[in-house]
Amino acid sequence: MSTLELSEMDSVDAVGRGVLRRFLARPPAVVALAVLGVFVLLAVIQPFALASPTRIDTRHKFGAPGLAHPFGTDELGRDLLSRVAQAGQASLGFAAGATAIAMVLGVAWGLLAAARPGWLDEVLMRVAEAALAIPTLLFALVFVAAFGSGILAMTIVAGLLMAPLTARITRSAVLAELKSEYVRGLTAVGASRSRILFAEVLPNALPALLAQASLNVATSLMLEATLSFVGLGIQPPDASWGTLLKAGYDRLYESVWYPVAPALLIIAAIAALNTVGDQVQRVLRGTAWSGR
Amino acid sequence: MGRYVLRRAGVSALMLVGVSVLVFVVLRLLPGDPTVTKVGAAQGIDPAALRQLRTELGLEDPLPVQYWHWITGLLRGDLGRSYFSQFDVGVLVGQRLGPTLELSLAGVTLAVVLALVLSVLPTILGGRWLGRLVGGYTTLGMAAPPFVFGIVLIALFVVRLGVLRDESYVAPSADFGGNLRALLLPAVTLGICLSAPLIRYLRAGLSEVEDSRHVRTAVGKGIPRRSVVLRHVLPNALLPALTSLGVTVGQVLSGAVVVEFVFRWPGLGSLVVDSVYKRDYAVIQSTVLLLAAVFVLVNLLVDVLYGVLDPRLRVGEAVP
Repeated sequence: MSTLELSEMDSVDAVGRGVLRRFLARPPAVVALAVLGVFVLLAVIQPFALASPTRIDTRHKFGAPGLAHPFGTDELGRDLLSRVAQAGQASLGFAAGATAIAMVLGVAWGLLAAARPGWLDEVLMRVAEAALAIPTLLFALVFVAAFGSGILAMTIVAGLLMAPLTARITRSAVLAELKSEYVRGLTAVGASRSRILFAEVLPNALPALLAQASLNVATSLMLEATLSFVGLGIQPPDASWGTLLKAGYDRLYESVWYPVAPALLIIAAIAALNTVGDQVQRVLRGTAWSGR
Repeated sequence: MGRYVLRRAGVSALMLVGVSVLVFVVLRLLPGDPTVTKVGAAQGIDPAALRQLRTELGLEDPLPVQYWHWITGLLRGDLGRSYFSQFDVGVLVGQRLGPTLELSLAGVTLAVVLALVLSVLPTILGGRWLGRLVGGYTTLGMAAPPFVFGIVLIALFVVRLGVLRDESYVAPSADFGGNLRALLLPAVTLGICLSAPLIRYLRAGLSEVEDSRHVRTAVGKGIPRRSVVLRHVLPNALLPALTSLGVTVGQVLSGAVVVEFVFRWPGLGSLVVDSVYKRDYAVIQSTVLLLAAVFVLVNLLVDVLYGVLDPRLRVGEAVP
């Protein structure tokens, strides 16, 4: 029995590594990862390496992009590159927190539904569907009306909003794994159900879950930008990509360059995250085909 | 078929009940109430007067009673009354419905035209670079929040080139030309963001149908590529794209909220945002439920239509 376990573990590892290798062999995936890496790096090094985002220089208000200020300057002459990098800490932090909440809740929710077919599965999935019946933004607005727009409240709300979809993805990924040959083999040799679920099925479903996590980060970034833009998200003086975009939009007549930096970062980040999710899914579909 | 429709309609109705409970409960989870916010500016307000106000608004009743009043009112067509302006919510919604419908219709029409042209053209003409270009357009369209296109359009055409003016909404009955001029940029903005997911669905459908046998036969018979695509590929690819219409409506609703905000369009979206600012729960709960109802209804219609067009789905029960 121990030999069989060993070989099973090997194949699990091989599948995981195969997905990663095939993922990295795709140029769009690599570009997307690089873009995300740059943004995270920018947010991390901002306090040490970039010009101070609070240094006011009223002689150079609304500056166009140039050598000294790659993205230009704002209404007080502050460097927009460092402001955008600093705002990235709030935006990316919010997105990471919301995604972490969504993944923990959603995976538990979907796993429970997949593991207990019958009325519990039915109830859990109906609840998920009802929650998905309202467009996310409308739901978010209701929550903001109730809880206000503190960053902690918003993170929890965004996490809650993305949990149902994550649960549905998790359930279908786990169910697909449960149908496969190796699960039947493990059941036959007497492995316990929880061991199969946690030690075998979940690791195999990991790529699909990571793809969903990537899409969740994109969704939270979009939500933050939208809520902050209409003034119901992160509140000044705290800066996020959404609040900077709003500030730039309000000053459009003074400088068309002002909103460019936050807009570019939001679009590039979401496009990169969508690409990562998309490419992982393509790799997974490819694996299924070759397996047939 | 009748049973399928009934079952599906029942699920939709249940869903809306769930949504209404959820919205109602979430808005009342935290202590504190809107009347205090309303009179908050006035210091030293008489507690008796406050209680009177709360009684008038029905806020002193127990929650289930409040919910019951709200729902039975809705079924009679009474959407409640704003805590602040004292207007009936029905009146407020009525004023905003026209502009939102106008913007949504224009946006969706534009999106469908854009999607058809941009997905069919690369298929007819072949050629790799055109397909890549459209691919880039969809990636951008899916990644940009709707208002970003609005900002770009304003920056380009209004601020930089000055060919268009920043116009605010005029009722079509007052000034039809002015109304259309004001509609142009918001509709284009909404159209661009709605077209991206539509193109994705359509192109996926097109490439799938293109590989099928009857298309190969048609090509083999020597029918020109253009008619093969338009007569044999496109009709079969449209069906799967229909499901994305339900998703699109959800995006229209969310898109309208922000696009209306960017262009100061006096529609339902800006009504919701305004009421969230003011914590006007009476307006929020009815408007959000109304919008959710539209969303659920359209998805119901799409599902039923899909069942009519694709007999495979009609057999037996709803697909899990």
